[in-house]
Amino acid sequence: MARSSFPCEVLTPEGKIFDDEVEMVSTRSGIGGLGILANHAPLMAMLEPTELRLYKSDSDVVSFAQGEGYLQVIDNSALLIVEDATKAEDLDRSELESSLKEAEQSRDEAEEGSEERARCEREVKRTKAFLEIGQSS
Amino acid sequence: MATQQDTKNRISSVKNIQKITKAMEMVAAARLRRAEQRIEAMRPYADAIRRMTGRVVEAVERIPDLPLLEEHDETRRVGLLLVTGDRGLAGPFNSQIIRAGNKREAELKREGKEVVWYASGKRGISSLSFRGHDPVIARQGYTDRPAYSNARDLANDIATQYEEGNVDRVEMIFNHYESAMSQEVQRDVLLPLQQIEALVTDEEGQDTREDEDQQKRRGLWIYEPDPEEMLKRLVPDYIEISIYRALLESTASEHGARMTAMRNAQENATEMIEDLELQMNRQRQAEITQEIMEVVAGAEGLT
Repeated sequence: MARSSFPCEVLTPEGKIFDDEVEMVSTRSGIGGLGILANHAPLMAMLEPTELRLYKSDSDVVSFAQGEGYLQVIDNSALLIVEDATKAEDLDRSELESSLKEAEQSRDEAEEGSEERARCEREVKRTKAFLEIGQSS
Repeated sequence: MATQQDTKNRISSVKNIQKITKAMEMVAAARLRRAEQRIEAMRPYADAIRRMTGRVVEAVERIPDLPLLEEHDETRRVGLLLVTGDRGLAGPFNSQIIRAGNKREAELKREGKEVVWYASGKRGISSLSFRGHDPVIARQGYTDRPAYSNARDLANDIATQYEEGNVDRVEMIFNHYESAMSQEVQRDVLLPLQQIEALVTDEEGQDTREDEDQQKRRGLWIYEPDPEEMLKRLVPDYIEISIYRALLESTASEHGARMTAMRNAQENATEMIEDLELQMNRQRQAEITQEIMEVVAGAEGLT
């Protein structure tokens, strides 16, 4: 059975990279995977780096490596505001690996429990997530 | 005295320079267009973040204590971030930032405050180092096409400086992009973000908070996680965006300034070629006159 669709927009600092009707949005918040279908209740969520999948239909899925961001669902439309969204095939493995190393190093240098440490931790998480996405595709 | 051949050589070298400046102008024009598009592209994102911050601020019961929002008791040390380019040959683009930085330093010193330097772009870094003010944060290599991650790195470093109490205020000096012809030096206070309220107004100064109708529905919103938690990330995001915008505007200004500078250089070259051609013609005439005089003198000597 075809699910009903709803409008979905993805905004990044580089511009609007997606604006179309979708049947489902699949992403991840702090507590785990998040799937949004049509007629969802108003929602404001903070997103973690993951693979963002936009289901135009069961067979037509657009996916991105998604950085941190926010999701807003209102009036049956979804708005994703993310720092970064790259097509999986555009990810540069070697660059990611070197930035992971760099991030891990600065994390280990940062003081335990400091804000800086938390920021480095996020950086590590982001790069790791992107690397995984790059691997699976 | 320069011979006719010397002048000819000079004309051809000026012509070569003119060709180079012409090429540089065209490159700058193409890059300027792209930089302008990127400024346009980031606006919806920035506005969306602002609107979202507005909603979240409305929803929190109490603004959480965040080090970045907190004003230090005393402002003794001020961080100055100079946003410059990696390359020169862009008219007053880099020098006006450095001049503005020096001026601000003098002002702050008169007030008895210390200055800590941060710099983005090779030109800013090298001119600070040259004067013996090694910048504490120095980043370069991206000014032709800054990515969001460059802004994030810079924002992280600066936030750390502020949180650790190394500075009590951070100001950012950059070229605000108005048009290809005009770029103005702008100075913004980056930290502390004293008024979260400021986050709620959009670029036109309009309040983007929800109207009453929307407020009634607010009870229905599901927040994941709490709005307080969200604010903890939205505040640093706001600083990242401010820096990202400054980097983009600076890049557009750089290309605009270079384009103008190169166009002026071409005009100067045209003028110079005209002068040199005139000079060459005179020299040729002088040589001919000389030769005729010699012939006449020789003929006279024979009779």
